[in-house]
Amino acid sequence: MPIAGRKKRSSKLPVVLVAPALVLLALFTFAPAGYAVYLSLMKLHVTGGLLGTSSTQVFAGLSNYADTFHDPEFWHSLGRMLLIAVIGVPSTVILATVFALCLDANAARLTTVTRLAIFLPYAVPGVIASILWGFLYLPATSPIGGSVFSYFGNRAIFFTVANVAVWGVVGFNTVVLYTALRALPRDVRQAAEIDGASELQIALHVKLPQIAPAIAMIALFSVIGALQLFNEPTALKPLTNAITSTWVPLMRVYSDAFVNNNIYGGAASAFTLLVMTVALTLGGGAVATRVIGRQGK
Amino acid sequence: MRRPFSKRGAVTAGTATAVALALAACSSGSSSSPSAASSSASSAASGSSQVVHLTITDWDNGMPAVVSAWNASHPDIQVQLIKPSGTGYTLYNKLITDNRAGTNPDISEVEYQALPEMVANKVAISLNKYLPNLSQSYPSSVTSLVQFQGQTYGVAQNICPMVFFYRKDVFAKLGLKPPTTWAQYATDAAAIHKANQKEYLGNFDAADPEWFAGLAQQAGANWWTASGNTWSVAINDAATQKVANYWQGLVNSGAISPEPSWSTQWLTDMNKGNVVGWLSAQWAPNQFPTIAPSTAGQWVAAPLPAWTAGDSTVGTWGGEAEIVTASSKHPQQAAEFINWMNDSQQGLNLLIKNVSVFPAATFAQSSPELQTPPPFMSDQPGYNTLMASVAKGVRDFQIWGPDASVTFSSYSDAFASALQNHTSFTAALGKVQSATVSDMKNTGFQVTG
Repeated sequence: MPIAGRKKRSSKLPVVLVAPALVLLALFTFAPAGYAVYLSLMKLHVTGGLLGTSSTQVFAGLSNYADTFHDPEFWHSLGRMLLIAVIGVPSTVILATVFALCLDANAARLTTVTRLAIFLPYAVPGVIASILWGFLYLPATSPIGGSVFSYFGNRAIFFTVANVAVWGVVGFNTVVLYTALRALPRDVRQAAEIDGASELQIALHVKLPQIAPAIAMIALFSVIGALQLFNEPTALKPLTNAITSTWVPLMRVYSDAFVNNNIYGGAASAFTLLVMTVALTLGGGAVATRVIGRQGK
Repeated sequence: MRRPFSKRGAVTAGTATAVALALAACSSGSSSSPSAASSSASSAASGSSQVVHLTITDWDNGMPAVVSAWNASHPDIQVQLIKPSGTGYTLYNKLITDNRAGTNPDISEVEYQALPEMVANKVAISLNKYLPNLSQSYPSSVTSLVQFQGQTYGVAQNICPMVFFYRKDVFAKLGLKPPTTWAQYATDAAAIHKANQKEYLGNFDAADPEWFAGLAQQAGANWWTASGNTWSVAINDAATQKVANYWQGLVNSGAISPEPSWSTQWLTDMNKGNVVGWLSAQWAPNQFPTIAPSTAGQWVAAPLPAWTAGDSTVGTWGGEAEIVTASSKHPQQAAEFINWMNDSQQGLNLLIKNVSVFPAATFAQSSPELQTPPPFMSDQPGYNTLMASVAKGVRDFQIWGPDASVTFSSYSDAFASALQNHTSFTAALGKVQSATVSDMKNTGFQVTG
């Protein structure tokens, strides 16, 4: 009897422990997402009179999704976002890795100050950073040659936006990698030093493979960050004709819902994006796990 | 217009404080403190339930003086001014969203181009029941901006005809006269840019659709027309295409700046003297002190250039009415207040003094208060006389669309892209047209064509 009782209790315990997380997840993630899906299947329909004296919310089927998929601008905005990701993600990862390895080098001095200096941009809110960089780029105010070179040109604009984003996040990622480096056991590198390996050789062949899981993780976070690109282009938009209100997908969602007052269409593009983001994150996560797993062996 | 008016608020601060101080002499001494005293006195006398409390959202800075003057003389209807978190479409979109929750203020400021959209979204209620004699003070051109299918949805406050501002020093140096036709404007723009490659006579504003709409109105465009319950939309009509092609020519020649008004670049250029002209509207003098403080005393207002010499037709940029919202529990009192503010000599005098409006009500257009020019135009004593004369030529669209916000955001995107990629302006117009029509059809409005 006592044994059976213990068994029973232990079978309930996991449920109890997991319940709060599940309830919160259901309330604050699935419920709003479900409501967004519901809205995305609706539309407003006005009847009667020139200005529509009565309007009702009617079932629209998948027409909002069809509109999103048939709108070339949606695909263009995705393309622009991916282009910025292609520029921004590798830059972030490479710069953060280089900075972290430099900071961790035996010859490095003033590491505390340098680390703080590299980290500082992360503490600057994205909107402020964009305005700050905007003034550096703008011909009227540019101290870095904005009147000679157009930072808002058709091609330059992608690097311009990516630069603001990368500047903001490199510091954080550097600290993550630096912490990973400090946590590594010292014996391997000491063995390498005794064997006569140079600082560069140690960095590339000893440290780098050991922090590969951390690098994979910051790469994944950077990809997710790129998919959420919104602040930087939105803050730069008033400065240039190069950025439209649908320049990246999230700007389009915002513009649909709160500028064009079409929350239904906005919900449809938002949900489409959500599905794409989750798919990419899971895919990226699987790759990262494989990298980490291989490293573990 | 959103930004002109938002800026107007901020900018008028200087003007407003000066005038408000003057007004404070007669108003704050006899208004704010007595209003509190008299309202409490009246509530003590007649029971607190007698006092009706109203709220109004308005972003114009001179408004507190106007509201407190009303509160002083109307102890039973106390109005509280709320500064909205944003101007223009930021406010309108919030009004539409909050309307679903029934939490809107009793009264709001709404510009003419957004009023049909406010009606279509049931934010604004008909005032016919409360103000049956409203249209008597207004010319039909103004009435048509606030009255749809026999129902009046707002009390018109002001009209803002477009006006051309130029730097008299630059024009004198080059021996130019203010252009009276668009052909001459183009020639002058080329001459100014040739004399100094850094200087431009003006800018093409892709961020501000209403600026372009005003120019199209002058050329004879009618973006929306209504017949019965059916709409027709003609944003890419021949008149608008003429305007678009004209500006494409100027932009391509390099004689006109492609930077939108109120962009950082444009503000710097105006203040440094790189942009020496501005196709603006009646409210511009209230904007100038923050736009181009270092060029004060050099600006002159002139009628907008015409398509054919001598034609006085002109479009508008900006202008607003006050609406009573569907959320209001005291629509009768709310209607009385906005009627006093926008359609009585007392209310309009306060608005002229504090908010620098050019009144829409005909009787007030010859007010003695209008004899003084706005401070920035002190060298041009006849400024308001010029406004009164150009106001006679004002031509609006028959009606603004029920989804003008879609049209406007589409304009900004399409024309910004056209400027950036050097593509056709008329193709951009086509995009605006199809975005507007498809949104109207999708929402269920009857649209021909």
